[in-house]
Amino acid sequence: MSPIVDARGVTKVYRTGAVEVPALHTINLSIEPGEFVAVMGPSGCGKTTLLNCLSGLDDIDDGAVMVEGADIHKMKDGDRTEHRAGRMGFIFQSFNLIPVLTAVENVELPLLLTGVKSGVARERSLNFLDRVGLSHRPKHKPNELSGGEQQRVAVARALVSEPAIVWADEPTGNLDSTMAIAVLDLLQEVNDAGQTILVVTHDDGIAAKAQRLVRMADGHIVADGLAAELLGTGNGVSAPGTRTAK
Amino acid sequence: MLPVILILLVVSIYDLIRRPTIRRLALRNLTRRRGEAALVILGSLLGTAIITAAFIVGDTLGASVRDHARTNLGPTDEVVRAIGLGKSGEIEAALKSAPLPNTDGLLAMAAGGGSVATLGADPRAEPFVQINEVDFGAARAFGDDEGITGMAKAGQTPSGNEAVLDQNLADEVEVKAGDRIKLFAYGQERELTVRQVLETKGLAGYGSSNLFVAPGTIASFVSAATLGDALGAAGNPPSSLVLVSNKGGVFDAADFSDSVTKELNKRITDLPGAEVVEAKRELLDDADANADQFKQIFGGVGAFSVIAGVLLLVNIFVMLADERKSELGMLRAIGLKRNQLVRAFGMEGAIYALVSSVFGVLAGIGVGRVVVIFAAGLFRGDGFRGGLDLIFSLNSSSLITSFMLGATISLVTVWGTSIRLGRLNVIRAIRDIAEAPPSGRSRIRAVVFAVIGVFIGLLLLQSGINQDNWFGALAGVPIAAFSSVTLLRPLVGRRFAVILGAGAALVWGIAVFTILPSALEKTEFNAFVVQGVILVGAAVAIVATNDDLAIKVVNSLGVSRRTLAARLGFAYPLARVFRTSMLLGMYSIVVFTLTFLSVFSNLFGAQAPRFARETAAGYQVLVDSNYSNPVPSNALKEADPNVEADAVLFQAYPKWTTQDEHEPTSWQVSGFDEALLARGTPVLQDIDPKYASSRAAWEAVLHDPSLVILPDFFLQGGGPPSTTIHAGDTIRAYDTVSGKTADLKVAAKVESDFVFNGPMVSQAFHRSFFSTSTPSRHYVSFKPGADARLAAARFEGKLVNYGVQADTFEDKISEALEQQEGFLGLMRGYLALGLIIGIAGLGVVMVRAVRERRRQIGMLRAMGFPSRVVRQAFLIEAAFIAIQGIVLGTVLALVTSYNLLTHSSTFGGQSINFEIPWVPIIVVLAVALVASLAASAFPAGQASRIKPAVALRIAD
Repeated sequence: MSPIVDARGVTKVYRTGAVEVPALHTINLSIEPGEFVAVMGPSGCGKTTLLNCLSGLDDIDDGAVMVEGADIHKMKDGDRTEHRAGRMGFIFQSFNLIPVLTAVENVELPLLLTGVKSGVARERSLNFLDRVGLSHRPKHKPNELSGGEQQRVAVARALVSEPAIVWADEPTGNLDSTMAIAVLDLLQEVNDAGQTILVVTHDDGIAAKAQRLVRMADGHIVADGLAAELLGTGNGVSAPGTRTAK
Repeated sequence: MLPVILILLVVSIYDLIRRPTIRRLALRNLTRRRGEAALVILGSLLGTAIITAAFIVGDTLGASVRDHARTNLGPTDEVVRAIGLGKSGEIEAALKSAPLPNTDGLLAMAAGGGSVATLGADPRAEPFVQINEVDFGAARAFGDDEGITGMAKAGQTPSGNEAVLDQNLADEVEVKAGDRIKLFAYGQERELTVRQVLETKGLAGYGSSNLFVAPGTIASFVSAATLGDALGAAGNPPSSLVLVSNKGGVFDAADFSDSVTKELNKRITDLPGAEVVEAKRELLDDADANADQFKQIFGGVGAFSVIAGVLLLVNIFVMLADERKSELGMLRAIGLKRNQLVRAFGMEGAIYALVSSVFGVLAGIGVGRVVVIFAAGLFRGDGFRGGLDLIFSLNSSSLITSFMLGATISLVTVWGTSIRLGRLNVIRAIRDIAEAPPSGRSRIRAVVFAVIGVFIGLLLLQSGINQDNWFGALAGVPIAAFSSVTLLRPLVGRRFAVILGAGAALVWGIAVFTILPSALEKTEFNAFVVQGVILVGAAVAIVATNDDLAIKVVNSLGVSRRTLAARLGFAYPLARVFRTSMLLGMYSIVVFTLTFLSVFSNLFGAQAPRFARETAAGYQVLVDSNYSNPVPSNALKEADPNVEADAVLFQAYPKWTTQDEHEPTSWQVSGFDEALLARGTPVLQDIDPKYASSRAAWEAVLHDPSLVILPDFFLQGGGPPSTTIHAGDTIRAYDTVSGKTADLKVAAKVESDFVFNGPMVSQAFHRSFFSTSTPSRHYVSFKPGADARLAAARFEGKLVNYGVQADTFEDKISEALEQQEGFLGLMRGYLALGLIIGIAGLGVVMVRAVRERRRQIGMLRAMGFPSRVVRQAFLIEAAFIAIQGIVLGTVLALVTSYNLLTHSSTFGGQSINFEIPWVPIIVVLAVALVASLAASAFPAGQASRIKPAVALRIAD
């Protein structure tokens, strides 16, 4: 089976005026379809940059990223955008909901983008809100929801179109442990259904849910293996919210 | 105004020096995004620019009229005048009976009126010339400064057939020294040789077109046989004058006018027929009145733009606060007090306000210059004071006042907005949660304010009705209605409370001129500003409250990939009701005024043939001739054999007082006879109910010397008619020569006295009462098939000796209307500045919106929104506001102008047919819409180019 994501020699440098800050150094990484990959590492090591570059949100300075066989950085912006809409879902630490749209309107956006009919989109969105425990608040706007509720809407939005890959950047960073477990269970559930997940996290509990763990430091991948082995948890289970020592 | 600025500035200056935290917050935020700060300043400076330009237009007009003191009077401050020749010595002796305090010279003169033409087959003519006889040596010595007399290089007094002309007259008839001219006066004519042309200045410019002749020339024109007629020459009979110069220069000498005039009047009590004219004082007062009037008109038109600027400033500050909401909440959380937060915002705003006011004044000078350039063409025509050359004038006091006004408006707006923003809830701000509904205490406070508002509104209404106070009549009901929204809300819900309250204000704003005509009879231009604000405010409140219905309509059309941009485009303005209302208000008020002016400027132009028909009483050509040499009817018939009939109007220029004007003021009066009514009657309005028709009213005036027909604009300089005189009221006429007065009862009114007949009385009364009654005007009709325009030209060519000026009624009225249209067009151009505020404002708001939504745009792009959809969403948002503003402004303006024209007396009752000038309106609105979209295209493009990862990574 060919990898769903295959990054070769990916290099990324941030430039601010005359100052250059290397963020990724010739990264090589392959992710198989259906994998649940956690990326861990200290702050500033390049985890989020890796996610952005692999997903095509950000440009790279060198190397190539093949997503489902296509070099995503060689695509035109429009094609890359279309690819994201059809095949990817995103969850961020700060929920990034559209404040002027209701919960259900936020969730149905990706479906409408891919041309799903409005009635169908609404029904599927309501179902997903139900799955994340928000069936009672579909018409509330983001600023009328709690942080946990907002993140559940964001998760529902990322998953509703059943994307091939879900990119999650600290998805439980703003949630309490109960809420974090609920979100993780949902991610686990979609992964079990065959969707690929790459999650950037500081949280050992989340990493323990993953099959594979990639550790980064200073823009390099320093470890890549089974999560259970790298975390040393044996059964691979720890409570979300516990963190590895940096 | 100054105390307001000072208090607000003192607080900011104190904070700047003594409060480093506040200073740091304000200054860092100010310099955080320099490009956007420049946009904020650009949006804010236009208000000050508009105020400055209004002042400059007023100053320029005032200075241009005041300049006549230099060019037409020089050292002359008062004139003692008596009709008839040879009386100067007697007057001078009376004045010199004792030293005259505060004066430095007297100058005896003789003056008369005539017309001048060049010789040859195709003569050039000036029909109205002042003929002067004065000793040039004495003239040079008049007053204490030879330089201001204009006679320094005049040489010897003319002798024999010598003539000395001022430059105005020489230019008019195109002559130079050595040329020969023909002078016509009092039925005589004589050839003269131009000896010299003098600069139009001081005594050399006394009168409008001056001709100096040898002493005794005027007397030689007035033979014993014509003396009686000559003395009766309206406006310019042969007169003896003594000019008086007060101590001081050209302008400051007028300060002594009151005391000198009082003394002069005492000295001439024994000289029958002699009168004192405060020439310079009257001219300068007239200049100030004109300046004030134009400041008011342009300031009033500009007020719409200033209001748009204020709304923009409020919007910008609310956006700034929204964008920084969590920062502000955090600052409050770590201990920044509410008043410190307000002061930090206040300081930031104060810097914006001061900088934008300085640049606004500079921009205003440029705008004023442009307006003056366009206005110069309009003023050069005959309509305003017989033609006026505009002299661009800048008064430092006006610039300072404009700066202060602009800065005060900005500062008060900024501080008011800051106080509102300072009320944020710390936790809700940090967590970006919606504001809670008002607590019990603030609800009680709101109810108390609402009750007070209703009470004040009703009191204003009462004062409006009882005291004919336009503001109370106009604003009372809307204030009460808007205040009642808070009281109605618990009973009928927010939506219906706003619909009821704002709806009542809207209906009142449209219909008030019909409901309370007497209270709004004497309106100022500002009344239309208040009306515009009421209408737009009420309409915007209703629309903004019900805008959510728009999204339902959009959703009902089906939500799909194609309509995503529309959904996003609508979602933001619908979610930010306050901000949308501000933007919508800003846009609507400008469109409202532009459409309103378009309707009026086009309406008048289209009415020329009808006005001509209604004015001409069945005649075709209007003939005016020199007062000192009026053209007789037989001369007209000789000049053109096609003349079928003519009606003679006797004219005079006496003084008047009315219930509105207590100071005797000069205005033309005409006397008519049966001939004027032989072919039809000029159309009347506001006819005394005693008379069944226009004809009945004219017949009554013809036979009753105590009756008069009055023009609508009687004793009024400009603007909409603001008289309270109606049929049945009485006015008083003063014959300054005989000292007689007569009370005349108004039988009816003429709508627009385009041909400037003034009040119309019977010819019998005119000739018996007014000492200077002269048959100088004719209404002429021609045999069928004759070309009236050609006949008018023929009269002017053949009757040069009478100083004849002839025009068809339609040409005469078209010319007057063109000037009126020109002014409205100028004002429309001036108001277009407001449109720039609206368009630039929309652009600024969109730029800030992109900044504010950067992260959200990043998320949308991450989710797969094409950049095209993001761009479209922004453009749809801008178009949504612009189209709503255009529709609101246009509909309100059309309804209001229709109502004003057809149901109120303000613009002449039902006599003007309402027509919508679609072409200019559509052009203006299309330009507005396209320009708004163009202004929004840049930020929309910016939004579409946002890189998702960058936007999500960097909040700022």
